[in-house]
Amino acid sequence: MDLSIIEQIMTFITLPFQSFLTIEILLIFIILYIFLLYNEKRQSKKVKVTLTALIIFFFSLLVFYFSDDIINVLSEIIKTIMRCFYFPNIVFYILTVIISLIILIYTVLKEKITKLNKIITYTFTIIHLFLFTNFITLAITNNLSLIDSANIYQHDQMFVIVLFSQIIFILLIIYKLIYHFCYIRHEKLKNK
Amino acid sequence: MQRKNKNIKSQLFKVGFFFLIVGILVISITPLKKLKEEVFEEMRLAIFQSNINSENTTINDVNTENLSVTPENTEIAKENDKKANYSYIGQLSIPKIKLKRGFVSKESKYNNIEHNITIAKEADYPDVPMGNFILMAHSGNAYISFFDKLYKLEIGDEASVSYNAVTYNYRLTNIYNQAKTGTVAIYRNPNVKTLTLITCTRNDDYNQTIYIFEEI
Repeated sequence: MDLSIIEQIMTFITLPFQSFLTIEILLIFIILYIFLLYNEKRQSKKVKVTLTALIIFFFSLLVFYFSDDIINVLSEIIKTIMRCFYFPNIVFYILTVIISLIILIYTVLKEKITKLNKIITYTFTIIHLFLFTNFITLAITNNLSLIDSANIYQHDQMFVIVLFSQIIFILLIIYKLIYHFCYIRHEKLKNK
Repeated sequence: MQRKNKNIKSQLFKVGFFFLIVGILVISITPLKKLKEEVFEEMRLAIFQSNINSENTTINDVNTENLSVTPENTEIAKENDKKANYSYIGQLSIPKIKLKRGFVSKESKYNNIEHNITIAKEADYPDVPMGNFILMAHSGNAYISFFDKLYKLEIGDEASVSYNAVTYNYRLTNIYNQAKTGTVAIYRNPNVKTLTLITCTRNDDYNQTIYIFEEI
């Protein structure tokens, strides 16, 4: 942790040569890389399928050997997502509000957006920003420190506001993603 | 004809995909519930810890000459406990199995095996000299199986209980099984403060396991 930049680079360079296993792993990846590059020239379907199968096999092997650790990592990832959803820290919450604000401003200024799209976007973003304003107001009235998450979420009202904010934000993002996906597909079909 | 075949294939693919998603959801619902419970538990413990810290700060400012506990104070505290919806009064931790879980007061409606690690009615609180603090919880795969990893414990493993801003440390001295009859006999040294954990025996529907810890 306390390494200088040169030490960090040296450690990084010598990392693959630390043991026979690491050299073996390095060789596997180099061979895989060369095969992928070479196949770009030949475009052989058999090689493509074999390489994909090999990659899947290699990672399945890793999953098999480190299954417990991988399950732990996956659990931790899901728990982090759940923490961000149920008990986001103030930085994450403000970040979602900023994204919402940017989407709102973009929608107001952009002319080539359908009315329905605008109405839906306004609805989601306005509710989200309204909830955030409520959140701040409640924090001020209750004299709460926003730095400590435990301090915020011991108040049921704050918890409910944040929870609904997150739901609205997720709906907004899902809507935007679906809309853009459909829009791009629609444009492609139109061009054809 | 070809178009019809394609349509059927496409519909079959959609139906298959739908069932795949439903299957994944059904399989993952219990582990997800468990993870959700863990996340909520972390926050409850953080709130519990935060409340202890704020209470301690307040106590530092009070003139200690006037500090005295009267029966009225105890009654008020008990009444407040009943009103509290989910506030922990303490925390059990067993580092070996990474168990950290709060418990509510005996009078709370959440002192129930379906919600929390439960304090037995017959139990003494950890601050009672030579007392026996008895906790019970489910084991198994459900998200409320808070004692699902107790079977990994061995004699000599340590546990601690935080209660009233004091931490009590214990060491496991005895593990034994008893048939599930609705009651349980606790064999312990009456001259030592103990912590007793009770849960169902692993892979056994007819027995329960009792873990006796003695204060270090």
